Amino acid sequence: MKSKLLLFTLLAMGQLFSVSVWASQEENKLLAVFLGRFASYIEFPERTAGQFVITVIDENPFGNLLDDLYRGKAIGGKPVVIRYATKIEEIGQGDILFITLVNPRNRQEAIDYGIKNSILTISTAAGFAERGGIIQLDFLQQHTRLKINHGSAVKSNIRIGAPLLSLATVIRGDAP
Amino acid sequence: MFQFRDLSIRLKLIILLGASAAIALSISAIILLSLTFINQRDESLRHLRQISDIASENLTAALAFNDSVSAGRMLASLQVNPQILAAIIHDEEGKQFGVFMTPKVEQAAGKQHLATLAKLAIEKRAQLFDQRDGLESVDFDYMYAITPIAFDGKVIGTLTLLSDNQELKDKLLYFAAMQMAISIVTLFIIVLISIRLQRLFTAPIFYMIDVIQSIAQTKNYAVSVDTIQNDEFKVLYKNFNDMIGEVRDRDALLSRLATTDPLTSLANRRHAMEVMQSMVSRARRKQEFFGLVSFDIDYFKRINDQYGHPVGDIVLKEVASILARTAREIDLVARIGGEEFLVLCDNSDVESTRMIAERMRLAIECELIEYEAGQQLKVTVSAGVYASVPTSEDMDTALSCVDNALYQAKESGRNRVSIWEKA
Repeated sequence: MKSKLLLFTLLAMGQLFSVSVWASQEENKLLAVFLGRFASYIEFPERTAGQFVITVIDENPFGNLLDDLYRGKAIGGKPVVIRYATKIEEIGQGDILFITLVNPRNRQEAIDYGIKNSILTISTAAGFAERGGIIQLDFLQQHTRLKINHGSAVKSNIRIGAPLLSLATVIRGDAP
Repeated sequence: MFQFRDLSIRLKLIILLGASAAIALSISAIILLSLTFINQRDESLRHLRQISDIASENLTAALAFNDSVSAGRMLASLQVNPQILAAIIHDEEGKQFGVFMTPKVEQAAGKQHLATLAKLAIEKRAQLFDQRDGLESVDFDYMYAITPIAFDGKVIGTLTLLSDNQELKDKLLYFAAMQMAISIVTLFIIVLISIRLQRLFTAPIFYMIDVIQSIAQTKNYAVSVDTIQNDEFKVLYKNFNDMIGEVRDRDALLSRLATTDPLTSLANRRHAMEVMQSMVSRARRKQEFFGLVSFDIDYFKRINDQYGHPVGDIVLKEVASILARTAREIDLVARIGGEEFLVLCDNSDVESTRMIAERMRLAIECELIEYEAGQQLKVTVSAGVYASVPTSEDMDTALSCVDNALYQAKESGRNRVSIWEKA
């Protein structure tokens, strides 16, 4: 009897885990698509670089998804290049910086780096926008919610289009 | 039973003009209504398409970032247009992403229509997603527009708008009511004008009817009709006048034939009797004298026998001519038999009548009648005179008396005037 109960518990946990993993994979797929779509509503400062660079810092949740999705694609007439960084110093110049850093202090450094270098910073971390990140994405029951820190965008010389702002909860103050 | 042909011309014209106007107005109303329906329908559909285009543009970001809450909020803003019953967003997989429905669409027909539209969006996926062409249509109750939502050159979903046609129907109903009101007023005005205009046609006809009735009653064929119009009525009037002229001439000829002696052109016996009747009546009424002279050519049979009937006719004509010439204007000279003549002397007593008769006799006696070139003969006449103020005696009595007087003249040796005397 005990063994049957244990087996049922293990199966249930396995089921929950697989659902969770599936949901996470779906979100990552959406996230990967959204990264490129944001560019349609963003006006970046003039750059000399001939590439549109999307950088993922710290852990890469997408696997090969980003590479597969944007291979051979162009944004704003520039070919998309996907970079992966583990440290701030590895970021360099770019257009979008997707931040997965868990450590708040490291995350803040990445945010500040983005502002300083006019890079659109995006993250799914809670409180990201309040701390100066430009776009924070939340997935709630298959729906997406956006939070945009307009002050940070202005500081970064990045202009966000009205359609995107109309979808988002907009934070107008400066980063703390 | 009422029949159109039994109506008067005046009424027929008014009805025809009114009916023609009504038909013309109805045709123009139908054409205008149809054109208005087509224009309004196209306008409504274009308006729906514009709303759909604007809404789909606004919804692009929401659909692009999977934000169904914002999409729902944007769709709900469509309720400011009361004609829109439902708005549905489908993503590129055909799944419903956002929806807005008014309570009106809950009706079975509206729901059924939405289901049809969903099916249509699937069937026309190639047109919507590949060709990026929207779909739109209108039927009696509803109109719809399905617009592709494109992001960055790629269709990522569709927006379906369902609208009812109430506004279109209301506009058409208002237009039809206005059209009907204008048509009724116009028709009323046209009928009023028709009542005036029909006189153009009926006045000449009624004038002609009046003239014909007048001729029928008075037998006066001396009338003629005329018109200032230069149309068919002028032709009709001219033909009528010609016809009346012919009747008048024929009537005069008949009258002349009926009242005159063809050989001498004097009044014949019948006409003399009619005139005598009226003269006697008038003399009796006015208590005036009425004189009567009867002439007979002496030995006329001998003239006929000796010279032949043609000469007899010449003699008769010549005597008639002398009698007519020597009679007063108010007298009537008639040939009442072979060589017998009668002179009716109006308002003439015995002496006056005798003098008239003597003057005539003398004129005949003095006249030489040329019956051939260079051949003449002389004739005499005997005359009987009768004159009285008519009382109760009739014409036959007067004629009998004057015949007796003539007989007396013949018996007394001819070529003389004899006055009737009561025995």
